[in-house]
Amino acid sequence: MNWVLPIMLLILLIPLYEACQDKDIWQKMLAFASIATKTSLMILVVSVLRDDWMIGVVGVIILSVGNAALMLLAHVIKRLNEIGEG
Amino acid sequence: MIDLISYSCIGLGLVFWLWGTWPLLGPRSVLFKLHSLSVADTLGSMSIVVGLLLKIPNEWPLLILALISLAIWNTVLGYVLAYCSSDIVHLAPPTHSSSVSAGDAPYV
Repeated sequence: MNWVLPIMLLILLIPLYEACQDKDIWQKMLAFASIATKTSLMILVVSVLRDDWMIGVVGVIILSVGNAALMLLAHVIKRLNEIGEG
Repeated sequence: MIDLISYSCIGLGLVFWLWGTWPLLGPRSVLFKLHSLSVADTLGSMSIVVGLLLKIPNEWPLLILALISLAIWNTVLGYVLAYCSSDIVHLAPPTHSSSVSAGDAPYV
């Protein structure tokens, strides 16, 4: 079971690199959404490894609330772009 | 036997993760990347959660909640990101920037 976490970390490096090097805000948002899902899944895996369900509750809360925050942020960015163009 | 199934679910999820995340590095459009990410990434994450669920079945309410929130939120977020990143503005009021020349200066 221990081999899962290093592979997950390696895959997590891809959206991290993309968020650092791309200037377009929507590509960055896409990478951020991917990072949010992947880190919360990693938290769930750690909670199963340690058999500690307080950590698991934190992972599920991040999974359900973090995406909502990204959605609100996307709307704010879209509105700011409209104001900037008009 | 259950261990084997759970490990194969987790391995399949990792393969899906890599498959869905790899196009992020390419020069394609946002919508192409969003499609691959929302399909392969969500399926991979759900497969990993199912693998964890088989591994420790006595904490199933939490993992079922994780599955449901993954399925619903990632779909909704995909739609919202696609809508927000497209340039088409629905029902926007007409702008008068073209009819007002610089010399008029109506608000000064």
